[in-house]
Amino acid sequence: MKILIVEDEKTLAYEVEAFLKKAFFICDLAHTARQGLEQIEVNQYDFVLLDLGLPDKDGLVVLEQAKKNNSEAAFIILTARGNIEDRIKGLDLGADDYLPKPFSLLELQSRIQAISRRKFGIKNQSIKLGEFSIDLQKRVVSKEENEIDLTRKEFDLLSYMLLHKNRVLTRIQLSEHIWGSFVDDDYDSNYIDVHIKNIRKKLGAHGQVDWLETVRGVGYKIKKQE
Amino acid sequence: MKLTTKLTLFITLSKLAIVLLFISLLPTLVESIASKYTNFYLREQQKKVMKTINKNGVDYYLQGEESYGSYTMLKEEYIALEPVSGKSLIDTIETSERVVEQDTLNYRVLIHTFQMGKKHYLLEIGKTTATISQYNRPLQRIASIVLITLILITLIADLIYTRFLLAPLDKIIKSKLLNRKFPFNEDSHPIKTSTSDFQYLDNSLISLMEQIHEAFEKEREFTANASHELMTPISILQNKIENLMVEADVSELVQRRLIEMHRTLNRLKKIVNSLLLISRIENEQFAKSDSVSVKELFEDVMEDISHRLEEKEISFSLELNNDVVIKRSNRDLLYQLIYNLINNAIKYNKPKGSIKVSDSYKGSFYQIIISDTGIGIPSDDIPTIFNRFKKSNLSEGGVGYGLGLSIVQSIANYHKIKIDVSSVIQSGTTFTLLFPKEVID
Repeated sequence: MKILIVEDEKTLAYEVEAFLKKAFFICDLAHTARQGLEQIEVNQYDFVLLDLGLPDKDGLVVLEQAKKNNSEAAFIILTARGNIEDRIKGLDLGADDYLPKPFSLLELQSRIQAISRRKFGIKNQSIKLGEFSIDLQKRVVSKEENEIDLTRKEFDLLSYMLLHKNRVLTRIQLSEHIWGSFVDDDYDSNYIDVHIKNIRKKLGAHGQVDWLETVRGVGYKIKKQE
Repeated sequence: MKLTTKLTLFITLSKLAIVLLFISLLPTLVESIASKYTNFYLREQQKKVMKTINKNGVDYYLQGEESYGSYTMLKEEYIALEPVSGKSLIDTIETSERVVEQDTLNYRVLIHTFQMGKKHYLLEIGKTTATISQYNRPLQRIASIVLITLILITLIADLIYTRFLLAPLDKIIKSKLLNRKFPFNEDSHPIKTSTSDFQYLDNSLISLMEQIHEAFEKEREFTANASHELMTPISILQNKIENLMVEADVSELVQRRLIEMHRTLNRLKKIVNSLLLISRIENEQFAKSDSVSVKELFEDVMEDISHRLEEKEISFSLELNNDVVIKRSNRDLLYQLIYNLINNAIKYNKPKGSIKVSDSYKGSFYQIIISDTGIGIPSDDIPTIFNRFKKSNLSEGGVGYGLGLSIVQSIANYHKIKIDVSSVIQSGTTFTLLFPKEVID
């Protein structure tokens, strides 16, 4: 998968690039709208991560122009502006998603994954996880035809950890995923533990859940051998 | 006392005084006019008599008799002519009694002596005083009636005019002060009036409001810009920390330090996000176009938050008796409002406590009551709990109310929801949300 990062804040661009490269994406960088448009014209990208506050032009102009030139890329808008008009305008112009800054890189990856599934028709067969199989499309966890009832948030957590398998996810990262940018005073909450406990309890009734590990003092991870 | 009342009272009293003065003076006035007119009348008669005497001669009237007298049947007027011996010239008008055919009557008499040939004559022209004053009463009555009518007409005209004159004042107060909501976002239009004093007042108020609006606008802009500018560096830090955490050669100790940093950064992020949210609400950047079912709203909030009840074993009861939909609202904001209140009710509750949500109609309001059995808020603190960054001494472990309640208040203000708070220390707090009837379906 090839990704173009259009971001004038170079440090940020490099961090995103470093992260995505580790996840086996091929990345190009552009720091102005003009550069971005040139790159989009020359190369075929699967994703364009687009900042709106670019020095020469508004990022929305890049989106509009690129869409006019029949760019096949999926656009994810990354912005610190975060006002609702921008969001609506961006989505109207054909952006696939909108991620307000500051965002978690893990969240960015999960959005890319979700768009891939949706847009490029990548149909993950149901994923095996120990004795369980998980269907991300239908949002169902089952064991031998038996569907296990999880709440929306529990399923979100499980699939997020599955996406970032073999990586320790901190409580903050997990709660950021299920709460998004929703403003909650409890920045230090351990409510994630309650959800994890429930997941373990519900799935544990049907089989082994030793793949869901607690990493002391850090968070949780799904250990999965392929 | 109102200005119009004062003016009305003054106008009425001053007119009344004039009427009383006039009526009390009227008899004297009429009498003096009547007597002056009588004198004038007698003089005119005298001129006519002298004219005919000069024409016809005295003897024509005396016809050898000693005197001449003429009067009508009712003896209201008489003319007498007789020769006199004295040489003194008399020419007066006086009131005196005369005997006319056995009747003694009071006359206003003009006495005039004149010389004709070598003889002196005395001419008397009289008019009974009764006839002089006979018109006084009707005259007084008519004058009084005319006066009172005129006064009444001017009084009504005055009252209508003062009302009209003072109307702009009321309009200025209503449109500039009473019906305006801080921070005076909509433009205000000058009131139409030709009274320069009111124009002055109106313009002064308009410019004052513009100043307030500008100052507020600047503060708001600052919050929005500052928060926005903070987002990018926070973003960079967060991503750097995230990338660092998965570096292979990071020791457990560094890992833990990184998580602490991340946590602190997250806290900063939440604060900035909260400030941005408040500034966006105050900027009216949220559309109010949703119709939100109260029941569904609470169910959604509880779905997201109910797991938090478990830790402290708090019981929750939702007793909504009315199937209410809130019109012209923003669903996300109302969700946040309810979420924050319920979240506080959980956070500040005691172990095995309870939270109760109920609703009812109260006067012209629909109210939602959220009460908990928590630690309560000291009554001194209640007025300031909605202030930004206000911390309560009682809140556990130094955890303040933070911005949660500030957000609640911004959302409530934006939706014209009134919030009442009552609390008893160590026994619980009740938040009452009062929705105006016009947004209730």
